[in-house]
Amino acid sequence: MAESSEGEEEGKLTGGNQQLMVDDDLREMGKKAAWSVSSCKPGNGVASLRDDNLDTYWQSDGAQPHLVNIQFQKKVKLQLVVLYVDFKLDESYTPSKISIRAGDGFHNLKEIKAVELAKPTGWMYISLSGSDPRETFVNTFMLQIAVLSNHLNGRDTHVRQIKVYGPRPNPIPHQPFQFTSTEFITYSTLR
Amino acid sequence: MEAILTDCIRNSLQQLMYRNAIFMCERLCAEFPSEKNMQLLASCYLQNNQAHCAYHILKGTHMPQCRYLFALSCFQMDLMNEAEAALSPNESSEVPNGAAGHYLLGLVYRYTDRRQSAINHFNQALSLDPLLWAAYEELCILGAAEEATSVFDEGASLCIQKQYMHHGLASQSLHAPSEEHDVASTRNLSSEDVSPRKLKHIHGNNLRDINGTTSNQSMNGAPTSLPFYNTPSPMAAQSQFSGVAPPPVCRNAQQNGPSMRTYGADNSPRVTVNSAVAGPRRKFVDEGKLRKVSERLFSDSGQRRSMRLAGESVSTNSNASVVSGNGISHSSKYLGASKSSSLASRSLTIRKGQSWASETADEGIHHDAYDDSRLNITSSSLSPGVDNRSLEPEGATRSSSAAVLSSSRVIDGASDILSLLRLLGESFRLSCLCRCQDALDIYTKLPQKHYNTGWVLSQVGKAYFEMVDYLEADRAFSLARTASPYSLEGMDIYSTVLYHLKEDMKLSYLAQELISTDRLAPQSWCAMGNCYSLQKDHESALKNFQRAVQLNSRFAYAHTLCGHEYVALEDFENGIKSYQSALRIDTRHYNAWYGLGMIYLRQEKFEFSEHHFRMAFQINPLSSVIMSYLGTALHALKRNNEALEMMERAVLADKKNPLPLYQKANILVSVGNLDGALAVLEELKEYAPCESSVYALMGSIYKRQNMYDKAMLHFGLALDLKPSATDVAAIKAAIEKLHVPDEIEDSL
Repeated sequence: MAESSEGEEEGKLTGGNQQLMVDDDLREMGKKAAWSVSSCKPGNGVASLRDDNLDTYWQSDGAQPHLVNIQFQKKVKLQLVVLYVDFKLDESYTPSKISIRAGDGFHNLKEIKAVELAKPTGWMYISLSGSDPRETFVNTFMLQIAVLSNHLNGRDTHVRQIKVYGPRPNPIPHQPFQFTSTEFITYSTLR
Repeated sequence: MEAILTDCIRNSLQQLMYRNAIFMCERLCAEFPSEKNMQLLASCYLQNNQAHCAYHILKGTHMPQCRYLFALSCFQMDLMNEAEAALSPNESSEVPNGAAGHYLLGLVYRYTDRRQSAINHFNQALSLDPLLWAAYEELCILGAAEEATSVFDEGASLCIQKQYMHHGLASQSLHAPSEEHDVASTRNLSSEDVSPRKLKHIHGNNLRDINGTTSNQSMNGAPTSLPFYNTPSPMAAQSQFSGVAPPPVCRNAQQNGPSMRTYGADNSPRVTVNSAVAGPRRKFVDEGKLRKVSERLFSDSGQRRSMRLAGESVSTNSNASVVSGNGISHSSKYLGASKSSSLASRSLTIRKGQSWASETADEGIHHDAYDDSRLNITSSSLSPGVDNRSLEPEGATRSSSAAVLSSSRVIDGASDILSLLRLLGESFRLSCLCRCQDALDIYTKLPQKHYNTGWVLSQVGKAYFEMVDYLEADRAFSLARTASPYSLEGMDIYSTVLYHLKEDMKLSYLAQELISTDRLAPQSWCAMGNCYSLQKDHESALKNFQRAVQLNSRFAYAHTLCGHEYVALEDFENGIKSYQSALRIDTRHYNAWYGLGMIYLRQEKFEFSEHHFRMAFQINPLSSVIMSYLGTALHALKRNNEALEMMERAVLADKKNPLPLYQKANILVSVGNLDGALAVLEELKEYAPCESSVYALMGSIYKRQNMYDKAMLHFGLALDLKPSATDVAAIKAAIEKLHVPDEIEDSL
């Protein structure tokens, strides 16, 4: 029947635009998480991944795979991971094979997505949804983005920015479903 | 020398040349240090928006007018303790300046959370001066106003008449000296601009305000009102005069004069005083231009009113300077009154003008003495205050005609004004009590020319807004915009209306216009913030609302909007803080209670949530939205019967609101009454056929009842209506699960 949600889907992603364009019904969840990396060069640490500045980057400094760990305080629904990487600027530091793992903690991470990038030059969108509509979201405590290899077999990697997206919560609490029609929405809040 | 300097200063003030006035006044104080000169200097500073200077100068003075000005500067600098101490240092002493002083004291009490005392003082202010609209407005905001018919009634009429009688006599006597001023003053009398003055003074709140607006017409510039007061010399005695007397300094006086007619002295920028006095109202620009704006708004309406009143011979000052602009704006609209220098103080008293008559007894002693002395001084040099006032450059209407108001005209005028105030007061009171339909009915009884003013139209819009009738509100507000395009009163509510209607074009246009009109008004930034919020850019919206708060920290709605944005950003702690600040300013701001209830609902603190929704409900018992949320909170507390009852009431309150029905179905499902729920949802389907959540809920009910075909049908319909991604996932998961029982059957 339905594929297990950790079905591997190999596909080469390329391209990437300079503008970040995300659906309105998604919101960035990274602010509520604790971010850490497996290694970094001084001055190019994890803060550069979250500073909204595409000129600063994280540079790893150890053995592969290089890991970015994103840990939430409670289980959250995630749908999309977006990375900014640029082959023209980073060449052999540009990630090539990326594996995304999810789980409750370091002890039970399982791979949910694997992608291969081919000379990317901007924002790369990696969707976490499975083929099944029930698997639109990944409900998890922790996400780990692993850089397994780089372009031109580089050892260390540069990533300039990472963003993680999940669905917007229901603006009205305690409702089984969200409202869609204007009549309902107009009467649903006071301002 | 002193007299010449004083005259020059008054002149400068009248002409709005503050720097000159301040410089000269400083020389005067250096040469002849005395309390009254200090008072003049302080009023110069206050008119130039330098409350801190006035504060330092007047520290420790004892004269009532000085104390009043000192209290005013303390209030503007947010030093409530000192303001209170100045106005009522001990039990027995009199509150200076009668109605204006009581009003100011009431404001101080209001902002220091002593509601009962505030109410007492506002009531006293009103009884001393029945045309003190700002005091009535404050009472409405505090929720403690009596019916307008009882406030603006016969007694008030008598009060006004008495005051004018005095004036009439006074003006006659003034004629003698006949400076221009006198003439002017008399003119004023005739011109009926008197009221404007009063207004200004009265409302001490905005020092600034009043003066400003009237500017035009003013011919008389201010003194018009003064004339009345000036006459004290002959009439003297009246405390009224005391206020007036001083030379034109009082801008207020002048302003008032002409502008008086218009209500909100402060507001009426235009004070359209026709011809007659209308002296330019000087508006002191407040630290926050908000006041100014509101003033403008009011003056606007004031102007119209003055037109109306012009016909009347009575220049009852419509003290109603509708200063306040609705509770939302800071209540501190000071009518520029205090500016006047010592003399000005008299003018201040003038404002109270009407009420002075009654006050004279008390205050008269102070004032009289003061006045007399002043009068003596001034009369020697110049004609008393009248000069100042009557400096009216325009002097156009110096009416040669004796300004004697015949008593019958006074009576007519007073009763006309009062009937107008009754209508406005009653409707404002009702709209503050959230009885919006009643308020709207009364507004329609107003004469056309008053109805078509910015203030009234935006009140009408506000009433529709509270009834959740956003289309009508939109219409009313856009009429208000055409009627007075520069006024910012109520525009924050208009921006919220557009937000609800999701009209982003109109909203951004409104925001741009407001910012270009007045960058320093909180309403403009509220509108801008609403614009960003509509586009879901909550961080920028929050920044804009915080700017609005910075501009005027006494603007409760800005705090509430900040709270809404914090909640949208899921920062509940700060949201709670913002809502609580809003409530500190205005306890009857039910939006903030509602916001707190929503936060607690999200955080699953249902007891708190229910309490807060109930508070909101008590303030606004006709809102179906609040009722439906109160029901939701009760449902979460498992008090299902009460919840259902509340939902019923919500349905009755507003037939157009589909939410209570939906919530009712939810509750019925949780209680187990699936058929009842289905019946309700069928009914709801008729009303809102495009709402996916209705079908989704029906689908899940059919699923529970094992009617898989119907469930499938409804889930399919729900999906067709494009619900959000989370719901799509949930519905599809439910559909998958539907198949399972079939499969089990097949395999059996």
